[in-house]
Amino acid sequence: MDANTIYLALFLYFIVGSIIARQARRKLGSGVNDFFLAGRALGGVVAALTYSATTYSAFMLVGLAGFTYIGGVGALGFELIYLSGLILVAFFGPRFWLVGNRYNYLTPTEMLGDRYGSRAVSIVSAVAAVIFLIPYSAVQLIGIGALLEGISGGAIPYIAGVSVAAVIAVYWTWTGGLKAVAWTDSLQAAVMLTVAVLSVIFIAYRAFDGFGGMFAQLEAQYPQWLTVPGPGFFNVNAFVGLTLPWFFFSLSNPQVSQRLFMPGSLGQMRIMVMGFLIFGFIYTLVSIIWGFSARLLLPDLEVADSATPVLLSMNIVPNIVALLVMLGISAAAISTVNSIILSLSSMVCRDVFKNISREIDEERELLIGRIFVPLFTLFILAFATLRLDLIAALSVASSAGLLVMVPALIGAFFWKRGTAAGVLSSVIVGGLTAMILQYSGWRPLDLWPGVWSGIVAVTLFIGVSLLTLPPKKKAEEFLGFLNRELNRRKVI
Amino acid sequence: MSLKQQRIFWALFFGVIILAAFVVPFLPPLRDLTSVYGSFLFWNVFALVVIICLGIITARWRDDDGR
Repeated sequence: MDANTIYLALFLYFIVGSIIARQARRKLGSGVNDFFLAGRALGGVVAALTYSATTYSAFMLVGLAGFTYIGGVGALGFELIYLSGLILVAFFGPRFWLVGNRYNYLTPTEMLGDRYGSRAVSIVSAVAAVIFLIPYSAVQLIGIGALLEGISGGAIPYIAGVSVAAVIAVYWTWTGGLKAVAWTDSLQAAVMLTVAVLSVIFIAYRAFDGFGGMFAQLEAQYPQWLTVPGPGFFNVNAFVGLTLPWFFFSLSNPQVSQRLFMPGSLGQMRIMVMGFLIFGFIYTLVSIIWGFSARLLLPDLEVADSATPVLLSMNIVPNIVALLVMLGISAAAISTVNSIILSLSSMVCRDVFKNISREIDEERELLIGRIFVPLFTLFILAFATLRLDLIAALSVASSAGLLVMVPALIGAFFWKRGTAAGVLSSVIVGGLTAMILQYSGWRPLDLWPGVWSGIVAVTLFIGVSLLTLPPKKKAEEFLGFLNRELNRRKVI
Repeated sequence: MSLKQQRIFWALFFGVIILAAFVVPFLPPLRDLTSVYGSFLFWNVFALVVIICLGIITARWRDDDGR
């Protein structure tokens, strides 16, 4: 595809998004809650779209399609179990929302610190989130750089693609905070889903006589791809190792769980949850069918992740649709990166700076948070240009690393006996376990890092908590308030 | 059913179907069923059941204005 056409498409995309971001800024209040949480008044539809765009990254049409290409239907199981992780939001969403409103929490890590009565809990959890999410974001930019380079036949240099994506992400975020992110995410989610569905229809009908024809060919030529372990990639250990940490994604990833503070009401949260589920279900099926199509049309690929760019260059999909798919994948990556940047910035100003110096007023806190938006972007950009092996390892470790927050989060709402020492030990030792196992490639008992980090975190959280004194007064006040409200609002 | 009983019911229900989503496709007959009506259909039905159940649970949530 012609490089100038791609640049023009990205430029137009940037202009449209920037107009939306500037519109969002006009309705932005001046406080920290306004900038980072859209004033806790997000409508359900926008909330659903930003939740979807933030959750689904470039991984779907590139990585998941690649998983399907090499591993078959196990990729569908992995992704749909991940989607079913929204079950956790049915239990925890209203709880986050209620205490967020009552105690004015800005970040999930601030909530943990307050609930367990320890500033160290906030600081350590926030630092852990930064360590695991920066490489994860860098990989998103790396994905865009590689995609644009591949689709343009090398005419768009890798560094140009990465830089364009970073500029778009930082400009929209800086312009109007979460409101701009949410509104531009809505645009991006709409682009992601529309072009993905459109492209898969083109592939099915132009290459296979419809979806029935595609599955009939799959059953005939690659029957093992419709079973697990099937071709072998998704053996039981790999399946559990990949899927288990991602099942807890809605709680473990702060850029997602922070969104539980944002809806204007529980009714709006309901629209957010249901909207996301429908979006996720369709987007998952599209990505899987994309992977199956690549298996049939491109049987000899050496790198599974190249299935999408190669398929796009095959003239099955019209050029304009291929261009839109490229935009859709870029949108998926940018919408994930800008939400992470904003979430990490809010954690730095609230959990790190405000805990170290309590004198900071709201104006200064917001200023610090805003300064970290471009700083984090530069940091992510630098990581993306380095393309170190460590970045890829840390990125893969992100789900296993962030999983270690989950025992503390569950304990905050369901276990009075949980203590700050329990949280600190589980987050620090669990996080280190994830990093060491991921980087070394060591898999004791053939179990994946995410399974080990989960076991270590749960054991330490419970064990150390039982040996130390809980913040009894805070736990009773916190849970007493919640129980009254949950009963009143008929929340399970 | 009281809220506490509902909590236990849904936790057990989801626990069972999630466990099934991890285990059933790796066992016969789905393990050997090389058809779109095997694991592909199973996981889709699993996801749809989750979506419907979450629709039921969230429909019961009440805001201050009674909605």
